Amino acid sequence: MPPAMPQTPHKDDLEETWSFLEAGINSVMLKLEEGVDMKTYMALYTAVHNFCTSQKAVASNQGLQAHRGAHLLGEELYKLLGEYLSRHLSVVFKESQGHAEEALLGFYIREWTRFTTAAKYVNHLFSYLNRHWVKREIDEGKKNVYDVYTLHLVKWKDDFFEKVHGKVMDAVLNLIEKQRNGETIEQSQIKSIVDSFVSLGLDENDSKKSTLEVYRQYFQRPFIDATRTYYENESRQFVAENSVVEYMKKAEARLDEEKARVGLYLHPDVAKSLTETCLDVLVTAHSTLLRDEFQILLDNERQEDLARMYRLLSRIKEGLDPLRTTFENHVRRAGLAAVEKVASEGDHFEPKLYVDALLQVHTRYQNLVDDAFNGESEFVRSLDNACREFVNRNRICKATTTKSPELLARYTDSLLKKGSKAAEESELEEMLVQIMTVFKYIEDKDVFQKFYSKMLAKRLVHVSSVSDDAETSMISKLKEACGFEYTNKLQRMFQDIQISKDLNASYKDYQDKVLDDDDRKRMVDAHFQILGTGFWPLNPPTSDFAAPVEINKTAERFQKFYFDKHNGRKLTWLWQLCKGEVKANYIKNTKVPYTFQVSTYQMGILLLFNETDTLSYSDIQKATTLVPEILDPNLSILLKAKVLLASPEGAKPEPSTTFSLNYNFKNKKIKVNLNIQIKSEQKVESDDTHKTIEEDRKLLLQSAIVRIMKSRKKMKHVQLVNEVIQQVKSRFPPKVPDIKKNIEALMEKDYIERLDGDEISYIA
Amino acid sequence: MSTQITLTSSDGVDVSVDRAVAERSVLIKNMLEDLGDSGEAIPIPNVSNRPFPCLGCVYYVRTSSPPSKSNGDDDDNRRKTTDIDEWDQKFMQVDQEMLFEIILAANYLDIKALLDVGCKTVANMIKGKSPEEIRKTFNIQNDFTPEEEDQIRRENEWAEE
Repeated sequence: MPPAMPQTPHKDDLEETWSFLEAGINSVMLKLEEGVDMKTYMALYTAVHNFCTSQKAVASNQGLQAHRGAHLLGEELYKLLGEYLSRHLSVVFKESQGHAEEALLGFYIREWTRFTTAAKYVNHLFSYLNRHWVKREIDEGKKNVYDVYTLHLVKWKDDFFEKVHGKVMDAVLNLIEKQRNGETIEQSQIKSIVDSFVSLGLDENDSKKSTLEVYRQYFQRPFIDATRTYYENESRQFVAENSVVEYMKKAEARLDEEKARVGLYLHPDVAKSLTETCLDVLVTAHSTLLRDEFQILLDNERQEDLARMYRLLSRIKEGLDPLRTTFENHVRRAGLAAVEKVASEGDHFEPKLYVDALLQVHTRYQNLVDDAFNGESEFVRSLDNACREFVNRNRICKATTTKSPELLARYTDSLLKKGSKAAEESELEEMLVQIMTVFKYIEDKDVFQKFYSKMLAKRLVHVSSVSDDAETSMISKLKEACGFEYTNKLQRMFQDIQISKDLNASYKDYQDKVLDDDDRKRMVDAHFQILGTGFWPLNPPTSDFAAPVEINKTAERFQKFYFDKHNGRKLTWLWQLCKGEVKANYIKNTKVPYTFQVSTYQMGILLLFNETDTLSYSDIQKATTLVPEILDPNLSILLKAKVLLASPEGAKPEPSTTFSLNYNFKNKKIKVNLNIQIKSEQKVESDDTHKTIEEDRKLLLQSAIVRIMKSRKKMKHVQLVNEVIQQVKSRFPPKVPDIKKNIEALMEKDYIERLDGDEISYIA
Repeated sequence: MSTQITLTSSDGVDVSVDRAVAERSVLIKNMLEDLGDSGEAIPIPNVSNRPFPCLGCVYYVRTSSPPSKSNGDDDDNRRKTTDIDEWDQKFMQVDQEMLFEIILAANYLDIKALLDVGCKTVANMIKGKSPEEIRKTFNIQNDFTPEEEDQIRRENEWAEE
């Protein structure tokens, strides 16, 4: 048998109604665990409903304030409920005074849970009041009237929270400090406290919304302050007793720990200021100390610690800036030292040694930037700055910055020439990529271009490239780095060689048709290359040369074939680049005759000996018409190889010497290479290249000036200079006096003129 | 899947409805939330049997017909017009006494949609009628003196036209 329905009070009797309600609320508030039966629940709701709808109460309400519309009842109930809550909370407060620290937290949470659970019930029981009287009051803009649930929170805050929050927070902070000291604590307690504080933040304007005001003021602020003090003390002490490296580990661990703490039991709102505070105390406050350690870590290559320092300092404002300068200087010093080491081994070192030294330093610090500094762009920039410095300005290129590009080009040449050690294609490709790394830092890119094209020309003419693929790959890399114009000539050179191949094929067909038997017998098996004058960095021969008859005939035949094909072109024979092979049938001491690989000049000299065994210097000179500067070294080579014998014995090639064929020539190899480059030639070549660079730069500057002026018509002098620098700096760093000189030069040539003021104008 | 809930009216009649239907009443919904469904009959002390079965079945039927109006979104719109759809109109074709009991019950049980329909029906009964007609409709005695009536009329002159 269910309990009988409790008798609801008379609806118009306030006292009776309230005492009925108070008893109900009391059992909800204090004895909820015993449960509330349904009938009581309905009776309580009904009592509130009935009171609020009672006719008599309307009449008895003498206030009769000027409400618009019907007057609603309920104010008395609302007031009485508020008073009840205050009474309840003052009891709770009294009890709370018997507790401290963790016990207090336990008490607070227990009472809070009880109170808020009850609040939810009471709110439902009073929902008729909420729906009518409270709603009307709020709609009319009354302050300090809340729905019943919010009323509970307001009362809790005013009558209990205000009195205990200090003590509660002390307990919370003590607990957190314990945890920071490594003890295990009951985190859920703090979580509950946080939740409670957050709940108490009520929006003044809309009680349904909550703000974090209360939480921020009473929890966050003291918590942040405590955190600051704690870590100030800890870090000060730790630094005094431990190394910086140890400290960084500690700081990093602490930062992670605090971050985890937020997730465990704090409100996410605290995360930002907590992190800021920790960074401020743990990192910013010690940043000078950390930075001082940076150089030491670099010196000892402590990558892990460097990474840690980067992570810490990257999190504070402008934390890394001082490191960048240190890093840049350090890399530069490392680069200079590496070059110094190469230089100390004397003047004649392999270009490879130099480039490897540069690359090594770059690779080491590139890795450091990637691994320890997260590849951060500003550090990459510092690395680039440092590399640019030591690549262009070091001991080896002390006199001129053009030494680096020259050495780099030579190294590239050594890789792309047949017989290089990097046999594997993939390995070669990788080395080319590395070359581009250094190339990127080269300021005088035009110098590289010059040397590179010279060497490419040689490789192509002498068919000594390791592979066409490798050449193409390198050219396309350069094109990618510097644009079409930069590699235009290189590409044309490459094309010329391809075209020449086809040309030779069709020449063979032509030859088959026109040659008679006699011609065929005396034919020289020849290969021709047609090189476009504008694209190849080659000069016509510096000496006259009367080619041997056999050669001449072949050359003339080819020339005829070529002119038939291309009317009006001019061919210049670059004898100094030609070469061939001759068989020495006159030497009888081997079964297979020796083959000499010779330059055309050497061939010219040797073929003279077909007619006679001995010739004088002047005979040779007259027959070949070579100038002594070329004749002498070539004769020297032939003498040295003992192909010719001098008389008197041991004499140098000079007008008084005579030369005779050595019938007893001996060599281990059947093929003897006599076509060796002469040392002095190499030196002259390098000097020449440097000279043409100066010349070319002048032209580049002038064409840039004209180009700019043509499009701008009028311009200030300063502006023009700046514009020119912008345009040419991808090729080489121009000097302002040079630009000025070239502007003057162009004025003299009437391309441009000076106007009033500082203006320059273009003359069309 | 729906549980049946038993409601007991003030005059002791039990009515069984789907829980989903019963929960159209915020009061019952809250209570079931707070106390849990004990299976006991829920006493509804303020509502007598007469409108009561209607409350049960009306919202039973309403939930199975398109619930367009029962959505809270267009609450304001619905309240501002006095339009009542046909189905509701038919439902409200009851005698006046019954109508007021339904309104009171809806107010007590906190069934918003039903309260709105009820009030609109009353509003429609007033619409377009003179004070005298309204008095007649609702059987209200005129307790104004002629002087008072005159004054009110003058005060509200602006609203005539």
